[in-house]
Amino acid sequence: MNDDTLPTFALGDALATRCGNTLTASFVPGGSKIALSAYRPLKWSSRDAPSDSAGQDMVLIHMAQESSLYTEPLLRSLLSETNATFQTLQTMCQVQHGTKKGSEYIKISRTYRSIVRCCLEKLEHAKKMPEVQEDETKEQQYADAIMTFYAIECLWYLFEILYMQQHHNQLIVPQLLEWTRFHYPHTEDRATDLLLMAEEASEVDNYWDTLKTLVMLGHLDVTRAILSQHRKANQAAYQSAETVLKTMPIYQDGYALQKFCSQWEYWHNDLDRKLVSQVFAAEPELEVLMQLLKGSNEHWDEELLKSQDWYEFLPGYLLYTRPTCKPFELRIAVTNWHNRWSQLRPDWQMTQMSRMVRQLMDHDVKLFIYEAQKLNDSHWFATHLIDLIYHSGQLKTHFDQQNLDLPALRHAMIFEFGSYLMTTHNLWQLGIDYLDHCGQEGIAAIELLLPRIPLKTERQAFKILALAKRRGLVNVEQDICKVLSRRAYNDQRFGSALEWAIRSKDVLAVTAIADFILKHYSKTGIMLCQDVITSIGGRMFLSPRLVFLSKYYEFYEFYRQRDFLSGAELLINLLASRITPDYFWPSLLIDALPLLESEDPKIFSKETIAILQHLEMELVPLIERNKLNTAKFSNQTSKTIFKDYRVENIEEILDLMRLACARNLARAMIIENTAPAS
Amino acid sequence: MATKVAAHYISEKISKVRWLPEKLQQSERFVTGSWDMNNNFVRLWRLQSNPYAQNVDHTPRCNDKVSIEGDVTGLEFVTDDILAVSSADGHLSLLNVQRAVEEDQIQRTARSERLHEFKCSGTSAPCTAVAVYGTDIATVGEDGCVNVLSANNLKQVKRSIEADSMSLLAVNFVSQQQLVTANRMGVIRMFDTRIASETQPKIAFMVACQDAKSCNFVSCMATHPMQQHILICGSEEGSITVWDLRNLEYPASYLSAHNSPITDIGFHNQDPSKLFSSAESGEVWMWSENKTHIDPNQQDGKSAWLSGDRVRALVNVDGVLSNIRKPINSFDVHGTRLLCGSDSEAVYIVDDIL
Repeated sequence: MNDDTLPTFALGDALATRCGNTLTASFVPGGSKIALSAYRPLKWSSRDAPSDSAGQDMVLIHMAQESSLYTEPLLRSLLSETNATFQTLQTMCQVQHGTKKGSEYIKISRTYRSIVRCCLEKLEHAKKMPEVQEDETKEQQYADAIMTFYAIECLWYLFEILYMQQHHNQLIVPQLLEWTRFHYPHTEDRATDLLLMAEEASEVDNYWDTLKTLVMLGHLDVTRAILSQHRKANQAAYQSAETVLKTMPIYQDGYALQKFCSQWEYWHNDLDRKLVSQVFAAEPELEVLMQLLKGSNEHWDEELLKSQDWYEFLPGYLLYTRPTCKPFELRIAVTNWHNRWSQLRPDWQMTQMSRMVRQLMDHDVKLFIYEAQKLNDSHWFATHLIDLIYHSGQLKTHFDQQNLDLPALRHAMIFEFGSYLMTTHNLWQLGIDYLDHCGQEGIAAIELLLPRIPLKTERQAFKILALAKRRGLVNVEQDICKVLSRRAYNDQRFGSALEWAIRSKDVLAVTAIADFILKHYSKTGIMLCQDVITSIGGRMFLSPRLVFLSKYYEFYEFYRQRDFLSGAELLINLLASRITPDYFWPSLLIDALPLLESEDPKIFSKETIAILQHLEMELVPLIERNKLNTAKFSNQTSKTIFKDYRVENIEEILDLMRLACARNLARAMIIENTAPAS
Repeated sequence: MATKVAAHYISEKISKVRWLPEKLQQSERFVTGSWDMNNNFVRLWRLQSNPYAQNVDHTPRCNDKVSIEGDVTGLEFVTDDILAVSSADGHLSLLNVQRAVEEDQIQRTARSERLHEFKCSGTSAPCTAVAVYGTDIATVGEDGCVNVLSANNLKQVKRSIEADSMSLLAVNFVSQQQLVTANRMGVIRMFDTRIASETQPKIAFMVACQDAKSCNFVSCMATHPMQQHILICGSEEGSITVWDLRNLEYPASYLSAHNSPITDIGFHNQDPSKLFSSAESGEVWMWSENKTHIDPNQQDGKSAWLSGDRVRALVNVDGVLSNIRKPINSFDVHGTRLLCGSDSEAVYIVDDIL
């Protein structure tokens, strides 16, 4: 890359200028931003002391971001429209493998072009709006975009003509004429004016100039029509000019090429003869026109000085000199033409576009693609064109000869373009489609980039989740759900946090939140987010802790509704379930206390023994262990704290529980062993 | 069906579309709301005859726009020219549409206080949906609250109900006083707007799901325009559940439909035998009650939608739009025209759907 083509930006950071005008920068992950800040180089030998500039200026971090064309709404729709066409092309190639027709690719190519054309039209329209006219930067923006996309359309069209169409008999001159006509429409506009003016036209200043340009662009019918309206149209010179124009053979499909050549040859000689015999001498301007038709170099050279770009009149020249030019002959013709042009206009500077036109006509596709990537369109053109070339397979042999790995090139281009869109603000839905067609690498990139899209609303999160789900990216789904769960948790929206955790299907996350809810309950006696716990249903089996929470909540509900018998049964089951977390044992056993002590017995003897057993086997050892730990690491705070909102000291309840169990056991034994009164 | 589909790219991701109400004629104007853009707008469009008379008869032209803070999440017409707009910054706005011969205009006339916020952090919570009944407007948000306001005075919230401890995704009026909300877990609750939150009756029912272990949110709900006890819900897994609100023990019908989350669902206003549903995968389907199959002896006024497993036989499905590839976020039907807004940044206008 050339040094002088690199753009430079001045940052003007006060601190940086103070310490030697140096900067450091690093890429900000998940975007195309670069963070810049002042920097003073330090070496191993520098003294470790506050620098001179310490405390004098603020340390500023500047964020630099590549500006994108596509913030402009009109260009945005270009992206979304071409995205749809891109997708069509991909599916078309997947569906009908093997039976591909060139015409279908041309259709795709035309669709792309028509999208660009439509966009150009809208841009032109927008540029003329009064509010844009006042805003200079905006106008410049539009002008730049129009220039870029105009070039793209022009080049794409030429590419389509030269490399994609199946020419009958491989004649390209008619298509090339069509191409120049599309891109130099001004002459045609002027011609229309002249036609409308009818006879008066011949007095207009640029009458002959327009006619000359028309001839050079190959618009013979229009030329004839204008000439026939001339005042002197009845004179001999005009009459024979009319004949010359009328009789010029135009190749038509299904015509024998040999026959056409001889006809053309005859017509050419005839014209030559007429010129030599001074048929048009009475009308010098008309004669020039005829000289041009003949392909007289001297006259063409003169007119060429007026043309805008080197290729403007090339197709016209070919029409009068080599109407049967074939694609492979074009190269020689172009070289000759170009040499001639540079001799005539030695100070002419080739623009990028005219260079690229040359490359296309020279069959230098490799260089053309290289240049295409330098256009200021974030690789839109190169990506889509290469993808199309790849699918149509028409230039395969060419690339093989050039040692160019087309599949790899396409892959890289699509990958880059997709990643660019993914990381650009709010174009991620388009970008992901490109990455989808990049195989393993694409999937990996999606996996990295999807979770980095800033989540603003849940609806957006659901959209990203759906994208991840469709691609089977379980990790991405999990990550996003976990992030949202955490966010909700920090915001004390525990119901939401629990639900996101359940969605993430991550056992640890679910357990952590269920733990929190249980602990909160045992500390305060308040059950959080009851509505969520009720509707967990089958999803509880994600984590044993969640099962415990749901079941415990069920018990809690029974208790509240004073359905003590069902409650007692559930409680016994919970005690025996082996999923009770350590910290919850006291609360669970305390819950049993009122049931044991109630006036009418609710717990059978067997169950009472079970409760007693749990008390002795689970809670007592726990408390012992806890004491030991507390003694051992008395200065540490990270011990298990047993707490329940109903009692101050856990050890107190041991005795209470034992007593209650004994009393209930006695009572239950008596009832159970008494035969029902018959 | 001889339908014509026209796509118009408008360079905005569209979250909501609505036709402007017209009583006697086909509506020629519509509004769109955008989301996830640098600046979000509610735009007013008008159909114009296409100057390039190809096979597309009409092209929309943007007549006016109103900038909205945050994503547009809901658009509903309160009257013929007053539009309620809910947005992701937790506010509700009223816009006024002025129909004119040349250029129509749209202006903001009122904006509410922040209706939805996360209590702990004090940040605004996105408002997720809006529903309208008469002049009452109900909004729900990610904070799980329901707010009912009157269109005549947005500054005062008539009733605020703490409905849920997670975000609500959809809201709908069943009658003047009753509304239903749906949350992220697929739980639908019914509330009475006359009662404060503490004393609300607890009516909750859950939408069915194929896999009991996975989550299944309800993203959209619709009530039958004539028989308001029929509630149709579209869900995350792509299924449609129908409830008879007179009998909440079990769902009246359950249909597996799309294979991606349903984004919007609604009956045709004038012809309630037609139901439309749109999905995240870019489809719009039309469900029409099969008139020939209805047994005249069984005509007890029972809707086909409530007939349980037989629904499939009584309802035909047609694809109206498919292959859009990007989520269709919203649609609206007026007369014979269907309007869709999509993340492909295009509006689709389908003619002659009936």
